[in-house]
Amino acid sequence: MRQFVARRLGYSLLSLLVLSLTIFFFVRVTGDPAALLVEPGASDEDIAAIHHKFGLDQPLWAQYGLFMMSLARGDFGQSFYYQTPVLDLYLDRLPNSLLLALVAMAFSLLVGIPTGILAAVRVGRFWDSAGKLFALLGLSLPSFFVGLVLILVFSVYLGWLPSSGSGGVLHILMPAFALGWYFAAAHMRLTRSSMLEVLGSEYVKLARLKGLPQSWVIGKHAFKNALIPVVTLAGINLVLMINVAVVVETVFAWPGVGRLLYEGISFRDFPVVQGIVIMGGTMIVVVNLVVDVVYAVIDPRIRLEK
Amino acid sequence: MTTRRDVLALAALGMAAGAARPAKAAAPSGQLTVGVHITLAPTWLDPAETAGIITPFMVLYALHDAVAKPMPQGNPSPSLAESWSAGEDGLSYEFVLRDGAKFHNGDPVTADDVKFSFERYRGAAHGLLKERVASVETPDPRRVVFRLKNPWPDFITFYTVASGAGWIVPRKYVEKVGEDGFKKAPIGAGPYKFVSFTPGIELVMEAFDQYWRKTPSVKRIVLRVIPDESTRLAALKNGEVDIAYSIRAELAEELRRTPGLTLRPTVGSAPYYLYFPEQWDAKSPWHDQRVRLATKYALDYNTINKALTLGYSHITGSVIPENFEFYEKLAPPVYDPDKAKQLLAEAGHEGGFDAGFYTCDVAYANLGEAALNYLAEVGIRAKLRPLERAAFFKGYADKKYKNIIQGASGAFGNAATRLEEFVVKGGNYAYGSYPEIDELFPLQAVELDHAKRAAILTKMQHLLDDRTMYVGIWQLAFISGVGPRVAESGFGLIKGFVYTAPYEDITLKSA
Amino acid sequence: MSMSSETIVLPPSVSSRPAAIGLGDLPIIPVIILATIAFMAIFADVLAPHNPEVGSLTARFHPPFWQAGGNIDHLLGTDQLGRDVLSRLIFGARVSMVVGFTAVIFAGVVGTVLGILAGYLGGWVDQLIMRITDAWLALPALTFAIFLAAIVGPSMWNIVIILGLVYWTRYARVVRGEVLSLKEREFVRLAIVAGCSKMTIMRRHILPNVVNSAIVLATLMLGVVIVTEASLSFLGVGVPPPQPAWGLMLSDGKQGLMVGYWWLTVLPGCCIMLMVLSANLLGDWLRVKLDPQLRQL
Repeated sequence: MRQFVARRLGYSLLSLLVLSLTIFFFVRVTGDPAALLVEPGASDEDIAAIHHKFGLDQPLWAQYGLFMMSLARGDFGQSFYYQTPVLDLYLDRLPNSLLLALVAMAFSLLVGIPTGILAAVRVGRFWDSAGKLFALLGLSLPSFFVGLVLILVFSVYLGWLPSSGSGGVLHILMPAFALGWYFAAAHMRLTRSSMLEVLGSEYVKLARLKGLPQSWVIGKHAFKNALIPVVTLAGINLVLMINVAVVVETVFAWPGVGRLLYEGISFRDFPVVQGIVIMGGTMIVVVNLVVDVVYAVIDPRIRLEK
Repeated sequence: MTTRRDVLALAALGMAAGAARPAKAAAPSGQLTVGVHITLAPTWLDPAETAGIITPFMVLYALHDAVAKPMPQGNPSPSLAESWSAGEDGLSYEFVLRDGAKFHNGDPVTADDVKFSFERYRGAAHGLLKERVASVETPDPRRVVFRLKNPWPDFITFYTVASGAGWIVPRKYVEKVGEDGFKKAPIGAGPYKFVSFTPGIELVMEAFDQYWRKTPSVKRIVLRVIPDESTRLAALKNGEVDIAYSIRAELAEELRRTPGLTLRPTVGSAPYYLYFPEQWDAKSPWHDQRVRLATKYALDYNTINKALTLGYSHITGSVIPENFEFYEKLAPPVYDPDKAKQLLAEAGHEGGFDAGFYTCDVAYANLGEAALNYLAEVGIRAKLRPLERAAFFKGYADKKYKNIIQGASGAFGNAATRLEEFVVKGGNYAYGSYPEIDELFPLQAVELDHAKRAAILTKMQHLLDDRTMYVGIWQLAFISGVGPRVAESGFGLIKGFVYTAPYEDITLKSA
Repeated sequence: MSMSSETIVLPPSVSSRPAAIGLGDLPIIPVIILATIAFMAIFADVLAPHNPEVGSLTARFHPPFWQAGGNIDHLLGTDQLGRDVLSRLIFGARVSMVVGFTAVIFAGVVGTVLGILAGYLGGWVDQLIMRITDAWLALPALTFAIFLAAIVGPSMWNIVIILGLVYWTRYARVVRGEVLSLKEREFVRLAIVAGCSKMTIMRRHILPNVVNSAIVLATLMLGVVIVTEASLSFLGVGVPPPQPAWGLMLSDGKQGLMVGYWWLTVLPGCCIMLMVLSANLLGDWLRVKLDPQLRQL
């Protein structure tokens, strides 16, 4: 067990190293950040000063060294645009992202689980198809389109919900719906397949043989067991939601990490973009590690796997 | 250069503005929320960081005040200084500070603060200012004297209009809390006090009732960032914001149609134009002035203006903003496709020619698409190449582009500073130049007589036009929306400034 | 938005077996839709009534012909620059098909090749490839794509390359897993005994057996890629104007939505939706058909 955890941890660290190299490489390979920090017409000295200030005049390997050393200290650098530490900016926005992700997750489970169960119980019938279609629709519509339609209907025509920003309970509803719908399909699919699997298992068959009513079997036995993988996926997707809400957050002016990324990219704010992508990647590496280890604890067979 | 008589006139205006302060102002009340189109940066809270762009002034006009700044009364107009004067030799400028101007913490604004702010300044043009200013003297707490190394006719322009160097921060406070402390809780001498700031999200400010010019009418002003244009309009319609910046094209039309909302176009200092980098290459079709002229006749300026900016942009035909000092009004361009075709035929391109790339900033690709349609109609067939803004300006300055460039500049200055950048040999954005224009430039740079200098700069602008070096498209209108609660929005009060200002003049309708 | 829940590798003890889709036979509607889009893409030059990139500013915002103010010349109306929407949709099919298919194929080829190499050769090759795969998989797909797009700048082919770079890891993961089990199978062992070279085994015996999974994955990925492309356009780093890509049309038309020019967004939005939905339905069906192991569920 200890060996398994150690190996898994090693892989994760290696992944993080590759990740940092990838990001660093792509960011520095093209484009000159100084070009964005000065307005057209700035003198060469101004540009040189900016280069120097951010270490951009040093060779690439030295820049990478500097970069890794500061990362190790928890220093993600200073935002070019905001002139404040990236980590501060990130942590400022993180609670908002987390809140949005939680509500979006609640919504996506609220849709995904019932439709998934319904689909599993009624394979090939109307509810199966309807549920699948609704979930797939969420996958098929770009979320900025969904977002704008929501704003149009609920803010402009009906005037029920605020169009943008954060603050009240009402502010979160539309962005959470737009974000959650996309993930609903994944949760619906997994609920359905894992329900089907459980329904086919021996103990459920046994329960049925005992003559327990259908709703009892589904509710008591099947549902509980089928839910475990769904909850796991939801945990992982929660982290993913924090990191991919960029479009939704931009449409609804939701002050989360995604919008910070959008700003970072519009302004070519290197440290911000780097920081967010690294934080996102790291979060996912860590969550995957945790899930693997937890499953290894539950299921000893996994430990022996290559 | 500002003559003594100008200075007296300005001083009189300043006094008038000071005297206009009501004996007993009503207490500020209410809140005004502004939906801002671009991300608010913390650097905008500190005048020392002012980049050579207009956006930071959106915040500076609220939190801070300058010795002199563009105001409705004039550009520049006395503010913390009640007057200034220039020495006859053009080597010194003296400012007399207003009595009774205070920072938000109650400290008076002194000559020492002015000197400190100038020396602390590290934004756009600071190199230029420091290179040319020999010393700053403070003979008494209300008097500041700038001594120059050589006569510099543009000193006042750069100090009060084209940079943030003249915006004053409190020395004692800055030294007490340090640079970082100042950024976190800035104190200024402006009409609004800092309350809170969430980078990129929101800036909250509250009225400073001891502001020298007048007590602001609105108690709280909130600048809220809403990046998406449709969302911004929705927020305005929904009453979540009272002012929404930058509402364009069809959204502006919708805004105009919506009862209760008002459209407020302002024309800033950003002319858009076409530039032909290959006009000095004898082998290029652009070398032939008839081809460049054909381009000028091919564009339907008014239709483009109506379609994209509701007709509010100004068709000036110039690359110099019309609100700049020394601007010379040129004959506006006309749309005449037949003439364009005829010119092309004369130049040996009957039936048109393949013109290569049309390079532009992706944010204004819609203007490019419209212009390309018109060029194609007369036979100039080019391919749009929109580039991300930073990349576009970098490539432009590195002289990487060929064929056609759709350029623009919103930088501060006057006609001379623009010519230096875009027209004269060695300019950052000049791919070539004409000797008869080049030779005039150094003459005006040392000319202390305003009229003589204006004559030279006027001549340069005409030469530029005669050569069809550029084809000016428009001076862009910036369109904003104002909601039903606002009485005086502040738009257009200061010529050439696109945001709402001065903040102390903004009023809400009484409930 | 391409929030790739598909990035998530399910915990090993959890079945990643897909559900049985009760569609029985070929899903006819999705196939017809995809075929129509392909037909439009191929014959765009003949089908489109107007030049998709040229319009007249004096003929902006004409509604579709059945609405007041519309006319037969522009069946589906005109856009903000007076260009014919129908023609742009037809040519947009070409852009979407080209972007979608090339990106998916590019990612598929790279991912499959690397997956086979990693799975079959094992050792340090496996380690190297899988560590890169893991690291890249950890990057949220849309974030990674935006990041790359902002760096290399806008162009249709850049978008194709970016999407390929972002999504190849999905194939590598799946293919490697399959190769690991194929390696233990009888026919591969026989080939080794018969003295076939590694290269030959990989090409003749392994590749044909993983192609099915790659195709299933590619079909499902097509939708993800198209939606990602649209999202990139929305954020200003997608296929650049004036090319008539659906994502770009949707993004350009979004201002019109607030104003009532519904056809500028709803029409390209529907095109994207139909294409992605069809690809997903077809992918689900293929998964069941092509993958005998999985079908057993």
